[in-house]
Amino acid sequence: MSETSFPINDLLRRKLQTGLTIASLTLCVTLTVYLLLFAENVGIEISQVAEGRLTAGFSMVFSQFLFFVGMLIVVTGAVVVSFMVFVMMSQRAKDIGLMRATGCPNDLIFGYFMTELLIIAFVSCSLGVIVGILADYASVSLSNLYGFRILHEPINFWLVLLVFVLFFALTIIFGVKPIMDATKVEPARAISPTYHFGLSKEPGFKVISKSSLTFKIALRSLFRRKSATIRIFLCLAIVFTLITVAIAGGIIADQTTRSWVEKAVGKDIVLIAHEDVGSQYKSLLLRFHEVGESSQFNYTKQEYLVSESLLNQLKSMSSLHIDTRLVLEAHVKEVPGEIIDSETGAVSSVGDQREGESLIVGVEPEKVLGEWFVEGDFLEENKEWGVVVGDSLAQKMFSAPLSQSILFYGRIFYISGVCLDPINNGNVTYMSLQVLQKAVGLLKPNVVMVRVDVANREEILNEIEIIVEHDNPKFAVCELNEALEENLSFLGHVWSVIMFLPLFSLIAASLCLVGYVVLAIAEQRQELGVLRALGIKSKTIAKIVSEQSSAILLSSFGVGVPIGIILTLLILVPEPIVTTYTVVEIAGWLLIALLVVFVSSLYPTVKFARKPILEIMNQP
Amino acid sequence: MNIDKTAVSTSNLFRVYQINEVNIEALKDVNLKVGKGEFVAISGPSGAGKTTLLNIIGGIDRPSSGKVVVFGHDLDVEDEDFLADFRCNNVGFVFQSYNLVSTLTVAENVAFPMEWARKPDDHIENRVVELLRTVNLEQRSDHFPHQLSGGEQQRVAFARALANDPPLFLVDEPTGNLDIKTGLKVVELLRKLKDSGKTIIVVTHDERIIQSADRKMYLEDGKLESLDE
Repeated sequence: MSETSFPINDLLRRKLQTGLTIASLTLCVTLTVYLLLFAENVGIEISQVAEGRLTAGFSMVFSQFLFFVGMLIVVTGAVVVSFMVFVMMSQRAKDIGLMRATGCPNDLIFGYFMTELLIIAFVSCSLGVIVGILADYASVSLSNLYGFRILHEPINFWLVLLVFVLFFALTIIFGVKPIMDATKVEPARAISPTYHFGLSKEPGFKVISKSSLTFKIALRSLFRRKSATIRIFLCLAIVFTLITVAIAGGIIADQTTRSWVEKAVGKDIVLIAHEDVGSQYKSLLLRFHEVGESSQFNYTKQEYLVSESLLNQLKSMSSLHIDTRLVLEAHVKEVPGEIIDSETGAVSSVGDQREGESLIVGVEPEKVLGEWFVEGDFLEENKEWGVVVGDSLAQKMFSAPLSQSILFYGRIFYISGVCLDPINNGNVTYMSLQVLQKAVGLLKPNVVMVRVDVANREEILNEIEIIVEHDNPKFAVCELNEALEENLSFLGHVWSVIMFLPLFSLIAASLCLVGYVVLAIAEQRQELGVLRALGIKSKTIAKIVSEQSSAILLSSFGVGVPIGIILTLLILVPEPIVTTYTVVEIAGWLLIALLVVFVSSLYPTVKFARKPILEIMNQP
Repeated sequence: MNIDKTAVSTSNLFRVYQINEVNIEALKDVNLKVGKGEFVAISGPSGAGKTTLLNIIGGIDRPSSGKVVVFGHDLDVEDEDFLADFRCNNVGFVFQSYNLVSTLTVAENVAFPMEWARKPDDHIENRVVELLRTVNLEQRSDHFPHQLSGGEQQRVAFARALANDPPLFLVDEPTGNLDIKTGLKVVELLRKLKDSGKTIIVVTHDERIIQSADRKMYLEDGKLESLDE
């Protein structure tokens, strides 16, 4: 038989096993390609913050998350590859022994199985790349169908090639060792049924119950396949870590980031301003997820200012919380600062005097309706020369913002905090309303925000509209909930796409476990057949095999999930928001994941248990 | 009162295997009646269908057509769960290749059919000791099958078949893989079983066993004939 026809025939005759190996490896490559391309398309480069959609602070959370998930996917891919190739070669150990026993030279045997490995590696990596590109294209198209504007970036050829080469190399590296090992095993050992048993004399006989007996058989079989068991345990533990990071991290990060946006914008907020200012303010809010050129808008027109009478009338309405703001745009400049090295105590200067445009928002600190996630301190009444800058501005223009100052309108303000804010995509500076008014010589605000609670909402809104209409018909009452919802749904959409990653991992994990169960069944096939011949029912046989997969599954779940939770809470999300509902939701999803993997492993078990006894016992 | 003294009865039994669209008739119109407590030896060339016949009588395999009744149970119409219970309580199998469960020790291999039949713990413990003494393997009770020789494994297989004290023994080539001395022990064991009133059907080429049997049958090319006439 030629060196190519033997491997091809061998692969084709082991359809289930070949299919499983190719599917698992393909999934790993698909997952990696998809993750990298998706990250590029959404505008978040793994490991580095990109400008554009999402503010710097949010991008940081996403990119950190994706980077971590990406690392885990590559590690999972490597372990899955190692496991599947090991399983593939383990099932050939006997054949290799027989070939050697009949005098087939070692180099020819190595050639046969190496060719099989190369075929598997090439087919899986190629399929993985194609499916990964298609999955990315489909998810971007789907996103755009739902109204999000994500551009189809040209495919990064080098990135895709890198993934292909990486996984091809991993497959070959991990696959060569089992082949080498199998070709080194003495033929007598390779064909002996006692090879790999790993069992020794037991200390005394004790009668055990029926259920303990099945468990004992299941457990001993796990130990008998020590090498495969350790590999599948590691593989599933990493997959469960990945799934936990993706599910728990995804849910916590989703809720946390949504809460940041929700609190910064405020819920049930109504904006009262000149209709031009109102629509400009809305578009500033939407710049969080929409790519748009910043239009020149003159906020300081007299007609845009809120009249004293309107303010007084609004203030006279009971139960209204009023937040007056002066919104402007200004040219800002970085002012260098000094930082002290905590170890040496040496003082060094930071800052490059960078310049740019920023939205300037004057607020009354004690009356603001927003509640920002702030690093440092928010504005304080007695510290009127302090400002809080948005996360994108801080990222773009400052090296150590909390040790630096900012210059605009000819005055220097120290930066007391950096806040996460969707408005103008985080390119914003908050400061005291009084100070801003003095600096620009405008004594009135141009925006009034009020929170209208759900109770009597319609009635109050009507009242406000009447007052505003009566005072100045050019003024409008705009609800900000719509813009808030759009921002939140964009965040939710990005997270939900990320949540596809654990789905891929889940499929990969299921395939691995199915591969392991197929291996377990193949090794125990004859003795399970004997058990049935001696009177054990087929459902008990299914129980023995499923007890093996449960033992592996639960132990890897028990290790993978806590690691995933620790990684999520300690590293991935700063100040995570975890409610009881979050815990229940995460637990629910993780249990579903566990169930999916377990149920998928039942397929070969049930199929095997249903086979006629003689077919089981006589199968070569 | 009419007491049925037939242990095994097959009538017009056919077993056809289809391999790559080729029909292979393993059994052709086999009619066999074995009385309770009878010892029947079946011999014949390799591939004649001997093991197939044992498998059908034991409820491991089903006939393509015909009837097989064992202790009054029509096995070809019973479901798999019934057959499992039936095998556990009524049939003692001794396979040609021993077929011990590799993950269980010698004692556990002998004990598990009794555990499956829900026998009391003290009964199982005593019975395991008794059976291992019968087959001279008391010292090997805690070893695993792969730590035993072929003859020892064969004796464990006998002890396991005896565990539930089944009324029917189906024994496939019990001495085929054994040396003369060990083979003699097996022959002795079969005689003891016969003396205790068990129904035994043995597939064998061993003249010592054939001579010990009450009836001698010959199976060739799927057809069963009596050698006693």
